[in-house]
Order: sequence, then structure tokens, then C-alpha cells
Amino acid sequence: MMPFMDYKNVVPKIVIGLLVFLIFLVPVITTNVATLSMLILSGIWAIAVMGFTLVLRTGQFSLGQAAFMAIGGYTSAILTVKLSLPFWPSFFLAGMVSGIVASLVGMVVLRVGNIYFSIITLALSEIVRIIGQQWEPVTRGTRGLITSPPPPIVLGGFEINFAASQVPYFYFTVCLVAITGLVFWKIGDSRMGRSFAGIALNPVLAEHQGIHLMKYRVIAFTVAGVFTGFAGSLYAHFLTVITPFMFGLWESIQIMIMSIVGGISSLAGGPIIGAILLYTLGDYLTRLETYGIQPFLFGGAVMLVLIFLPKGTGLVDLWGRFWTKVVWREKEFEFDEVEE
Amino acid sequence: MPPAGIWIDGLIQSCIYMTMAFGMVLVFSILGILNWAHGQFYMFGAIIVYYTVTAGGIPFPISILISGLLMAVLGISVKKLVIDRVKGDLYVGVVTISLIFFFEGAASILFGMQDRGLSMLLPGVMNLGSFSISYQKVAVLIFTLVVMVAMYIVLNRTKVGRAIRATAQQPDAASLYGVSVERLSLTVMGIGCGLAAMAGSIMAPVYSINPFMGRIPMIMALLAIVIGGIGSLTGAIVGGIILGFLNSVIAYYLSYFSEVVLFLLVIFILLVRPQGLFGASLK
Amino acid sequence: MKKSYGIATILVTAVMVLGILGIAGAPNTTQAQTSGPIIIKVGTPTALSGPAGPWGQIGVAPIQAWVELFNKEGFKVGNKTYNFQVINVDDKNTPEGGAAAAKKLIYEDKVKFIISHWTWNFPSVSAVANQAKVIYLCRTGNEAVPGGVYDPKKQPYTVFANPSHEQFISDIFAIAEAFPNYKRIGINDSTLGKGIGWDYVDRELDKAKIRYHHEWYAPGTQDFTPYITRYNEAGCDIIYGAGDVMAAMLITKQRWEMGFKTWRTGTAGTLLDPMMYIGVSGLEASQGFIAQYFANWDFKKTKVNPKYIKECQEAMAMISKQQGKPYLYTGWIGWGPHHLQILAQAMQRAGTVDNPDAIMKAIRGGTFDTAIGKFTFSGAKTYGSPIVFGTPGCLSQIKGDKEVYLSEHPLTSLP
Repeated sequence: MMPFMDYKNVVPKIVIGLLVFLIFLVPVITTNVATLSMLILSGIWAIAVMGFTLVLRTGQFSLGQAAFMAIGGYTSAILTVKLSLPFWPSFFLAGMVSGIVASLVGMVVLRVGNIYFSIITLALSEIVRIIGQQWEPVTRGTRGLITSPPPPIVLGGFEINFAASQVPYFYFTVCLVAITGLVFWKIGDSRMGRSFAGIALNPVLAEHQGIHLMKYRVIAFTVAGVFTGFAGSLYAHFLTVITPFMFGLWESIQIMIMSIVGGISSLAGGPIIGAILLYTLGDYLTRLETYGIQPFLFGGAVMLVLIFLPKGTGLVDLWGRFWTKVVWREKEFEFDEVEE
Repeated sequence: MPPAGIWIDGLIQSCIYMTMAFGMVLVFSILGILNWAHGQFYMFGAIIVYYTVTAGGIPFPISILISGLLMAVLGISVKKLVIDRVKGDLYVGVVTISLIFFFEGAASILFGMQDRGLSMLLPGVMNLGSFSISYQKVAVLIFTLVVMVAMYIVLNRTKVGRAIRATAQQPDAASLYGVSVERLSLTVMGIGCGLAAMAGSIMAPVYSINPFMGRIPMIMALLAIVIGGIGSLTGAIVGGIILGFLNSVIAYYLSYFSEVVLFLLVIFILLVRPQGLFGASLK
Repeated sequence: MKKSYGIATILVTAVMVLGILGIAGAPNTTQAQTSGPIIIKVGTPTALSGPAGPWGQIGVAPIQAWVELFNKEGFKVGNKTYNFQVINVDDKNTPEGGAAAAKKLIYEDKVKFIISHWTWNFPSVSAVANQAKVIYLCRTGNEAVPGGVYDPKKQPYTVFANPSHEQFISDIFAIAEAFPNYKRIGINDSTLGKGIGWDYVDRELDKAKIRYHHEWYAPGTQDFTPYITRYNEAGCDIIYGAGDVMAAMLITKQRWEMGFKTWRTGTAGTLLDPMMYIGVSGLEASQGFIAQYFANWDFKKTKVNPKYIKECQEAMAMISKQQGKPYLYTGWIGWGPHHLQILAQAMQRAGTVDNPDAIMKAIRGGTFDTAIGKFTFSGAKTYGSPIVFGTPGCLSQIKGDKEVYLSEHPLTSLP
């Protein structure tokens, strides 16, 4: 082994780089539309999960993230369908509107404590659904809105046609996930981000140290809202339909499960892993023929993962442990188990 | 002024919300966690009673006790095998949510997903002038009264009850006095789940039985707890009563809008007075 | 604690392997065709999970049994014989699930047609099917009625082989004919179904001078006391629901308990099994419960080819034998067999199995003889294209513990 290079740090990163490279090659490796579609959808949900994890970093447990997907989706749907705006401005506005709603709601709601915040956000998911249902003139009620795919992009002599195939959507999703991941990672690494973690661990102390609690919570909530709004818009234009029932309480719960199972210690990697693994697991389960076995196995799988993973970790933390324990055969530094 | 039938209907709804909320709060005040799968114990209670009555021919009251006992055992097992192995309130919450899917899936496989009914149990109605009430609903009223009295006696007059109240207020002091918090948690989990199951059993003939019947009672119990105050047993009862009557009266005037009104009410309470009517102020 | 790392690694690997298996897709079992009829694959995205599951599940077996019987003879196009193979995929009753199911069926299972789909996910399934030029037979719903999202130019491969809203209207007419002295018909639906479809229904009912009153309830509602009180105040004496079966059963039970014993109740759907309704609502309360009825052997106003009647009865007998108790659900006849028969006859007329445009041309405006009767595709004025099939509009009621014929108001064509 080369002694002058910190290979233990570099090799895992090379492997990750290879995996990312492979991801870009997926549409070349498999042209299976159903598979691409599944990966695209897991990517979209991964963005919503990243939003949840960011908000969780500030100590708040939001069960309403699906509502922001709805707001983003409906905004871009209404703008493109009813006001005939082109796709890209609508997409951008979807994120902005979602962010504005998040900041307004956040300013009012984030000051209440943990469990109360969760219940309010839970109620929020349902209220957004009810508004979607009742506000007929704008949202067309339960019928929903039919959107169109983004228009073709012409680059030189080369045309990217969304209507003809899933592949453009795939790259769009990968880019969006990558951008969101980078932004969130940067936030997590920044001074602001590290104070988030402080807020989560000990709000009282953080406040005494001069960190303005509410300001950071609202910022996190808003940023999460913006990107979740983008995800919602992409979702609506990918499925070419949006109805009020696509984003309710149970969708918010799925987002939360993906986040916790994926691992909340990481703002980008954890959510991505959680979303992809659980989404593909759910999809695979639909092939099984026994009626009722899907929720049984899904619930069982999540329970087993949570029981057997060490406290406070998710699947993403296994990556680090895999390298230290299995590949490098190091002895892990372990905290002493404190008796409760 | 809504007709008498609406008020009686509200009363019956209150009974169920109250019982479910009481069970959830009991578990919350000792274990510190909300059992999101509480509704699924309700559902299993109904399913067990279905089988004991139709296939086993066991009389209804005994069936109710059997389902309560069986689900108490299941609740204790869940606590020991699942909840205790998961550390951190956050993770325990997620684990009980995944239990929802796990239990509903199991019920779908074993019981099937089609609705079944027990309408032939306690058939007939009691005519009281301008309205009538079915005997099944009268049974719900009697059941709730019995349960509430029993809970009062247990909590205030027995050693176990004293231990529960002590631990709810001051777990460390209680353990200094010789209360095994560990053992008590199991007991309370059993009582809470048993209550949910018996509520499901007594309601089984009133509506229909299917694997998903536990979802709405759990959400309603949650709303009742918010109104009454998280952590307060009195709050659970009062919250259940208020919610039950509100639901029926608003549905009478505004039909499906009652959904919206209740959610808005809950949000309003959480913003203005998060501790509800009787709850202690949490940070 | 160290042990758990190992277990965790194994678990994670298992989850990932399952996930990758999911990504790779289920292995494609293509039969080696040596001789014998050529198989045409047909896909059905069905609600097999979740609360709507029972209604998707119960239709799977008899349709498979019917296809077996149909395949004994198969159908001929040119001088080749063809058989059908029906593949069911769970669509979870959501738009996302519907699109995923449709994509699996079209791109992995390589189906040529999609049939008997409920229109809850119409927009997303229709988008996938039309993009792939796969002919899509379904039922109308809120999205598909005039003013909805169906656009003949954007969805040229969509066929409404069951006109759900128009059928509901026929049902109401059949009820009015069965009970000429009715006071007012109470209609209920969950808020999930609220939309312009109801405006369309109301217009037609008003034209026919039917007296009715609407109520909407939140999905999952079990306590209908307030709604029954409102029906009473509106003067209704028949309550026919368009929503879920649980609601219909509970309304039946609760109106009886509230003293409204002369009211009739019913649901726009076929009876799964009379005993289910009797079990939930009570034997007395459920007497006279009205439901849709596709027992083509009992039709009085619609003529059905006796051969088709025999096939359907045989299929039901096969399933009864398999499950060890009588199979009573007739709803599957209303879509599975007749969708496949339309396709078979259309392919014969078009002279091809591979050209969707030619097959659609044969379907539009054509007359087809199926297990629910002989109807001509119509609706050019209402839908912009003649792609709506008729319906026998037959109703049944519960008598004792059996389901018997009540009334019929066929819908033969639409403007």
C-alpha cells in the first residue's frame, strides 16, 4: 500500500464516484421503461426526504412534507395549464411558491414544541389535500389537472424530447437530486448548518449562546419547502396528472420512514439511500401474489432494520462501518453503553 | 338545534374516542411514547371477537374479555420484543408506525380484506320517543361506563394504580419507593392495548369489521388528546366527549366539512393553547 | 452490540438484493411458440391492495377462468388462431401506482392491450397507454365525462367500454321504474368522487324529471346518523349510493335502526356476496337492498348470445368448485369478458392484430356482440368520438339470503 496517500479516506470516495458514474450510465445499461420510471420516482421522493431530514436537523419533526410537494405540483400545473406559462418558469415558481408558503407557515407554527409541531404539520397535509379538492375553479377538484411534459430542449443539432421517452426525465431527476444534495450538504457543513445541529441537541443552550432559534428553523423549513416544491413540480409533469389525493398524511409518513431508515446523520446520502431502497422494495413487493403481504413485509422490513441498527444510525451509516470493519478490518471505537 | 338523535349519536362517538384516547394517554404517560399502532389493537379486538362469537360460539361479554386479554399479551410482547430494542423516541415512533402496516398486512392475510359484520349480535332497538337507539349502541354506553369506573378504581384504590400515578408524575421518585418502572411499563402497555382491543370488540357489531378499521379511531383519539391535553387522563375523557359531540353536530350542519373544521380546530388549539384543556405545559 | 453490525449488514444486503431484483425486473417468461394458437397478452392494472383491494381481487379468478374457456376455441384472424392471456398487476389505486402498473405491463410484460380498468387512475394510465399506442379499454369516471380530461385528439387509443356515469343514470331510471311512487331518491358519494361527473348526471336526471338529493361524506365515515337525518329532512325514501360499499351497508343498517324501515337502500356496484351485506346490516335491514346485476342469464330486456351466457356460468361454476363455496359475484361479467370480446371482434374486422390504428378504426362506431349484449359504440357528440359502449342497466335486490332480479333500463346509445 502506498504509505504517502491517505488511502483509507480516498478509496471509499473513489467507489462512490464510480457508483455515481454508473448512475449516469443507467439509461444506457437498461432501457427498461418501468425500471427507469421507478428510479425517477425514487429520486423525486429522495428530494422530499432530504427536505424532511434538513428540518429534522433543527429539531423539528415535520409530518407535512408531502403538502409541499402538492403545493409545488399544483403551482406548476396551474401555471402551465390555466395560465399557459412555459414549463421552466413554472417549475421555478413552483419551488418559490412552496418556499414562501413554508416560510409563512413556519413563522407561525415553528415556535410550538415538538409533538405539537408534528401534529400541526400532519393536519397541514390533510388541509392542503382538502383545499385541492374544494377549490374547484382553480384546481378542478377531485378530477385533478392534466399537465404536459416539459417542452423539448434543442441544443445545437440535438433535441431532448421529454414527451418521447423517460430518459430525459431520468437525467433531469439526477441533476435535481444532485443539486439538492449539494446545496443541503453545503448547508449542513456551513456555520449555519452546524448550529442547526446544536439547536437540535439542546435548544435552550443554543438560545443562550445567541443562536436565534426561530430564524434558523424557519430558514431550514423554507429551504426544504423550496426543493420539495421543485420535486412536486417534476412529479406532476412526469406523471402528467396531479390530483389532491396524491399527497396526504400517509405520503408524509412514507417520507419520514425513508428518512429515518436511510439515516438522519447524513443530509444527502441518507435520504437518497433510504428513498431508493425503500421505494424499490415497495415496488418489488407489488409483484407478490398473496393479498395483504405487501404492507406486512414492508412494515416488517422497516422494523427489522430499526431493531438491528445501532442507536441513532440509519442505513447510510453502514457504509462507513462497512469500510472500517469489513474492508480495513479496524477495531471500531465504541462508546460505552450507558445504563439507562 | 339538532334533533335528539344527533346528540345521542354524539354521545356514542364520545364513548369510543374517550376509551381510545384514555388508552393512548395511559401508555404515553408511563412509557413516554405514542403508540401509533393503537388503532390496530382496536382492529384486532374486533377480529378476535368475530371469530370467538361466530366460530367459537363464545358469548359476547366473555369474548370481549378474551380479546382484551389476548391483545394485552400482544401489546406486552410488542413492547418487549420491538419497542425495547429500539432506542430513541424518534425511532420508537417510526417503529410503531411500521407496526401499523405490519399488523394491517397480517390481518389482511389472515382475515381477508372484505368487510364482515356482526349485526346479529344484540339486535333490535330501544324506542325512546322521537329517536331510537340500537341495543348494540346501548352496550357501548354501558361498556364505557364500566371501563371508566374500573379504571377509576384501579388507578385510585389499588397498589398498581398508585404505582402508575406515581410513575407518571415522578418516575425516579417512584423507583426509589420500590416501583419497578420496567415491570410497570409492561403492565401499562398491556392495559392500554387491552382497552383498545375491548373498544374494538364492543364496536364490532355496530359498524363493520375490516383490517383498516383502526386508522380513523386512532386519528380521532389523537385529536381528542390534543383537545384535552397530552398527558392528561382527565383530558382524554373530556377531549373525547367534546370531539364526539362536535363531530356529530358539525356533520349534521355541514356534512363532509366536519373533516375540515375538526382539523382547523386542532391547529388552532395547538397554536393558541398547545397544552389543551388539562395538559401540563411542555417546553 | 457487535453482533448487530453483522446482522445489520446481512439485512441491508438482503434489502439491496431485493431492490436490485426489482430494478432488473421480473424474469420474462416467453413461451417457445412451436405450434398452437398465438398468445395475445392483455394487461389489467387492478386495485389489489389497500382498502379498495377486495373489489379488484374478487374479479381476478373468474376472468382467468373465462379466458381459459374462451381459449378452447380462441378466435381467428386471417387463417391464424389466437388466444388471450390476461396479466394482472397491482396499481395500488393511486395515480403513481397506476402509471407504474401500466408501464410494467406494457414494457416488461409486453401486453398489446389494457382492459377493464377502473378510472380512478385514468389520467396516468391513459397517458402511458396512449404514448405507447396500446389500446386502452376502461370505464368512464369524473375525469372522462364531457368536460373532463378525455381528449379524442390526445388519447386516440382510449375506449370507454363501460359508461359508468351513464350507467348510474340508467340505474336511477330503473329504480324510478321499479318504484313509480317514490318520493325522492337520495344519492350519496364520498368526497373522492365529487366533480363535474355529477353535474353531468344531474343534468340528465333533471331532463327526465327525477327527484333526487345529494349528500357527500368524508371517505372512511362510518357514522351516518347525521346524513340519514338530513336525508329524512329532505324527504328521501330511497337511498342509492355511488360511493363505497361499506357506506352503503352502514347506511342500510343505521337507517333501519333509526326507524326508517320503509326506505330502500342500494349501491351502484355489484354484490360481492349477499351474506356480506346481511352480516353487516342485518337480515331484515338488508332485504330489498339494490345493486347492479350482470347476471346475463337473468336479463329480460337485453338479449345475450346463449353461448356467452353458458361460458359465464361455466366460469363461475369453475371458481365455485375451486374455492369450495358458491361464487356469486356477477360484476366481472360486466367488464372482463366483454372487453376481450370487443377486442377479438375488432381484430377480426380489421384483419390484423398488430395495427392499433386499424383496430381502433374498427372499434369506433362499430357494433359488437358481447357477454352483456349487443351494442354499438356511440358518443360522438358527447365525447368527441364514438367510443362509448352501451350497458344493460340491470338491477338486483336482496331477497332472503339471495340476490334476485329487480329492474332493467338498458342504455343502448349515447348522442
